[in-house]
Amino acid sequence: MTSLKATAAALALLVALPGVANAQSTSDDATVDVSGTVAGLCILGDPSRTSVPLGQLINTSGPQVGKLTAISAQTINLPNSFCNFAGTNLRVSAQALLSSDTNAVQTGFARAVNFTSTVSNWATQNATVTTAAAAGGATPSAQGTGGTQPAPKIADLTLTLNGFTVPSNLLLVAGTYSGSVTITLGPAATP
Amino acid sequence: MRSTYLIGFLGIVACAAPASAQSTGTVNINGSVADRCLFTTPSATISVGELAQPGSGTNAGRLDASKLDGQTRNLVGWCNGTAATMSVEALPLLNIDFTAAAPTGFDRRVDYSAAAVANAATATDTSVGAAGGGSAVSVGMFTGNVAVTLSSSSSPTSGLLVAGTYQGQVIVTLTPNVSFGQTSQ
Repeated sequence: MTSLKATAAALALLVALPGVANAQSTSDDATVDVSGTVAGLCILGDPSRTSVPLGQLINTSGPQVGKLTAISAQTINLPNSFCNFAGTNLRVSAQALLSSDTNAVQTGFARAVNFTSTVSNWATQNATVTTAAAAGGATPSAQGTGGTQPAPKIADLTLTLNGFTVPSNLLLVAGTYSGSVTITLGPAATP
Repeated sequence: MRSTYLIGFLGIVACAAPASAQSTGTVNINGSVADRCLFTTPSATISVGELAQPGSGTNAGRLDASKLDGQTRNLVGWCNGTAATMSVEALPLLNIDFTAAAPTGFDRRVDYSAAAVANAATATDTSVGAAGGGSAVSVGMFTGNVAVTLSSSSSPTSGLLVAGTYQGQVIVTLTPNVSFGQTSQ
């Protein structure tokens, strides 16, 4: 009987010990989940120049008189341009410089000045386009697309205008000439 | 007169019986209540939508701190012991869609501070820096709300936020400890 009592007491102790341990500490956790989103966004920095006055476009003397003069490259900066997502590219659309005089040009004359627009510092391949307006001003528009940037990026973009030419190097009719360049930064088109 | 004597005798017998045969047994009754804490409302959600500033100004695309700062939610719980403590761990919001290192000028992480208030005690933590919760504070015996409030949100470089979905979490822990001197002996 004594042995049985001792065994029972030992069993009771063994059973009781885990109960005591469990009673000591029952922590509990709770969570507040916090979430938000960030939409895809592309922003072009404000251009350093919104107009590019080229002044007199023709030579007023010499063997090339009346024809397009040499025009130096023009640069426009767009600082802190960015896209906050991957897979973006630049598109550049240019309108050749056309005379405001819309009358049909005479033989030997032109009313269009073509040029090349290049936007650099976004992807490996720059966005570039060269206008190909006819002497009479037809087909002044042209578009080009740059390579795809594979990561979010912030950069100072540079637009360079150069390669100014007149179809067949004809004489330019008098008047005011105007053209434009439009830059678009956004998601690359899905192939 | 005879009737009178008989009644007197019976009375003596009745009084003498307890002195010679009484016995008392005792059943002791005891129990215990362990120190314990429990959340009866163990989860809540703060969903703030767009985290970046709109528009096209110099701050466009950067964290709009007003979206997180001041956000508050109530959890509900209790602790039944005087030694109970509460601690908070704030885990940063991370972009779950863009997991690579953020390019220069960008951030894919939003930090903040979290405070939990229960029984007039406040436990805090910030998600900035090393992982791990804040210090435990004594919360004692209470039942009711555990108010969780966010503040001081920021991104590591104040940079542009990479597009995507951001998720973080505040973990509040109630620990009962031992308030009545019980040991495991």
